[in-house]
Amino acid sequence: MTSCAEIDRRALLAAAAALGTGLWPGLAGAQEIESSAAPQPDDAEADRIAAAFLNGAIPQAEGLALDLPALGDNPAAVPVRVHLDQALSDTNFCEELIVLAQRNPKPLACRFRFTPLTGSVDVALRLRLIQSMGLRAIARMSDGRFLEARGDITVAAGGCGM
Amino acid sequence: MIRRRTLLTVAPALALLGRSALAAPAALTSDSTLMPRSGSGPRIVVCGGGWGGLTAARYLREEIPSAEVIVLERNPIFWSCPMSNKWLIDVVDTAYLTHDMLFPANRHGYQLVQCEITGIERDRKLVRTSKGNVDYDFLILAGGIRNAYDAWFGDDRAAAEYTRTHFPSAYIPNAEHLALKDKIRNFKGGTIVMTLPPPPHRCPPSPYERACVMAWHFKVNNIPAKILILDPKPGIAPIGGGYRAAFEELYPDIITHVPNARVRELDPWNKRIMTEAGDFDFDEAVLMPPHQASDMVFHAGLIGTNAEGKSTGWADMDPRYYHANGDDSVYIVGDSMGAISPHFGHYPKSGHVANYIAKIVARNIGQRVREEEVVAELPDNLCYMLVNGDPREAISVEFTYEVGADGLVHQNQIDIDVRTPDLLEEDFVWAQGMFNDFLR
Amino acid sequence: MSRPPRIWISNATPIPGEIVRIRAQVVHPMETGFRFGPDGQPLPMNIVTRFQASLGGEMLLEWLPETAVAQNPYIEFTFSALRGGLLHMVWTDGSGDFAEAEQEIVLAG
Ligand SMILES: Cc1cc2nc3c(=O)[nH]c(=O)nc-3n(C[C@H](O)[C@H](O)[C@H](O)COP(=O)(O)OP(=O)(O)OC[C@H]3O[C@@H](n4cnc5c(N)ncnc54)[C@H](O)[C@@H]3O)c2cc1C
Repeated sequence: MTSCAEIDRRALLAAAAALGTGLWPGLAGAQEIESSAAPQPDDAEADRIAAAFLNGAIPQAEGLALDLPALGDNPAAVPVRVHLDQALSDTNFCEELIVLAQRNPKPLACRFRFTPLTGSVDVALRLRLIQSMGLRAIARMSDGRFLEARGDITVAAGGCGM
Repeated sequence: MIRRRTLLTVAPALALLGRSALAAPAALTSDSTLMPRSGSGPRIVVCGGGWGGLTAARYLREEIPSAEVIVLERNPIFWSCPMSNKWLIDVVDTAYLTHDMLFPANRHGYQLVQCEITGIERDRKLVRTSKGNVDYDFLILAGGIRNAYDAWFGDDRAAAEYTRTHFPSAYIPNAEHLALKDKIRNFKGGTIVMTLPPPPHRCPPSPYERACVMAWHFKVNNIPAKILILDPKPGIAPIGGGYRAAFEELYPDIITHVPNARVRELDPWNKRIMTEAGDFDFDEAVLMPPHQASDMVFHAGLIGTNAEGKSTGWADMDPRYYHANGDDSVYIVGDSMGAISPHFGHYPKSGHVANYIAKIVARNIGQRVREEEVVAELPDNLCYMLVNGDPREAISVEFTYEVGADGLVHQNQIDIDVRTPDLLEEDFVWAQGMFNDFLR
Repeated sequence: MSRPPRIWISNATPIPGEIVRIRAQVVHPMETGFRFGPDGQPLPMNIVTRFQASLGGEMLLEWLPETAVAQNPYIEFTFSALRGGLLHMVWTDGSGDFAEAEQEIVLAG
């Protein structure tokens, strides 16, 4: 298991080696833990949250899009966009949407609630990710359907800001 | 009265040198002394009269009233790089960027000498200049950056000179900015290539700002121009989200950002550039070579080396006290500074940081002169970048620093990606505050 | 949330049915509760827990961030301009602190 602090420290040691040691006198003895944030060992917790949200329903793999950058060069702020690509109406609209960062210490990244007045579901936000992982978005429609989109993201190590 | 009449009898060129010229024409040899010592306090020589140097000079005079402070600067007038992108599209005029440096020198009581620094002999605590030598007790190196054309062309001076004169980067306070503005105004259409230096480099967000203001000019004047931003980085940073939105929404037909485009080869005569992301032909270009610490840091023998013994290109210095490693009479202020922390590398090479560090260094030298405890201080940073000409909208980035439990400096970056007009207003307040600080 | 939120709107005078895009960002540390301060003590958790946007008094959307949401939370959303009115946005954090922003939406035509 790698903690955020350990990821930091690995990047840090590599960087220190590259920059020339001696510059960082405090480094060799740096044993302090900066953060207790630890990634999930597997997707079990994320799956549990997804199952609770789905409440027995099987999600459709079409209709929802999850846009991720090829590489999250700043793991402290990875741009994520989720959008519905189907026409909405008063009787067919998205009620709720969850975004899961499956290996984050707390996999539920955020939740959205919409109304018929929204009329269009297209949201973008920035997530901090503790390591490379799979992301998942699940939308609950007013007609009882669930739509799901998944994606993987590779993030550069170091400074996850958790 | 008498002296005046005497002066009138000597040759005009010598008259400019004043009294010492009359007393000893030997003042004209390159090995003579620039200025005799005056006063009882320490002599502090500040190399470079830019954002860092002029700030240091002012605050050193306030910290240590007995100190003799001498600023050595090659330029006759102060030219501000900050706000100069906005000036390209006349958001500010030339008078806004240019400033008299004698006013703050006289007001704060430091000497300003217009000269070229040609060498630094730390064993003799001596700076060599085009006007003679000057010795020091403390030395501040605030020369900004050098354009490392040699990283592209090696010893091929002809290629470097051709590139500098035909495709100036306009990233150093000099007349290249005027050339760039003319270029933009006279451009009739075609492809403009803009190379970004690999990090660390001066003011990371400003090349994208420059692309935006150029694109805005071409857009409103219906000039069929394409701007290719050749970026060695994998993505736009900082304020990547704000810039991406501006490129896509405001200049979709003009700006193309090409990531991972590290320059491999450049043929300035045939207007062709080869990068790791492909080869490009261009009609016009703003070619920014890699940046390094100013020449004076090389003269002083203070360039760092990495674990493999290779030159880092930046000052070898203490990351908390800002003096040279192994020579605490020499401080490095501003863009020439070396790496600060393995967490993030360098402080942003900005005017804001140069000004901030200069004040810290002035306080630290004051503490040393008064034999007090030297207090390590951290800067912050703030930059506003104009992305739209009408309405005038800006985005911004802010950095704060703290020392972590590991004893190292940590950086916290705040991108404000949402472009709004009030950020430009804040920018004006920021710039005026800065100018008031070290130019008034 | 000592500083006012930043708001950008694609068009404050949309034609009926036009998709309006909003970008909003507030300065907030989004302290996760995982980190330790220089004194070795955990820094208390404090994140923006709720963002609400309403138009003419009716809810458009609600966003409930968790610790994974980056510092200085950035949110971009769209709505279909079916009516005009005051677009009101409010952020609330775990300490009860809040920030607000408003924008009048006037349908064109
Ligand atoms: C287009 C552009 C936009 C920018 N926008 C911003 C901004 O919005 N905000 C911000 O904070 N920063 C901005 N910057 C960055 C800012 O200009 C620099 O970070 C800042 O000038 C650094 O200060 P300095 O003192 O290290 O170097 P400079 O200000 O460059 O000063 C160095 C001085 O040393 C002199 N010098 C060098 N070598 C010698 C020598 N051998 N002999 C005599 N004199 C010498 C030079 O002539 C120069 O005057 C911008 C830069 C550019 C190019």
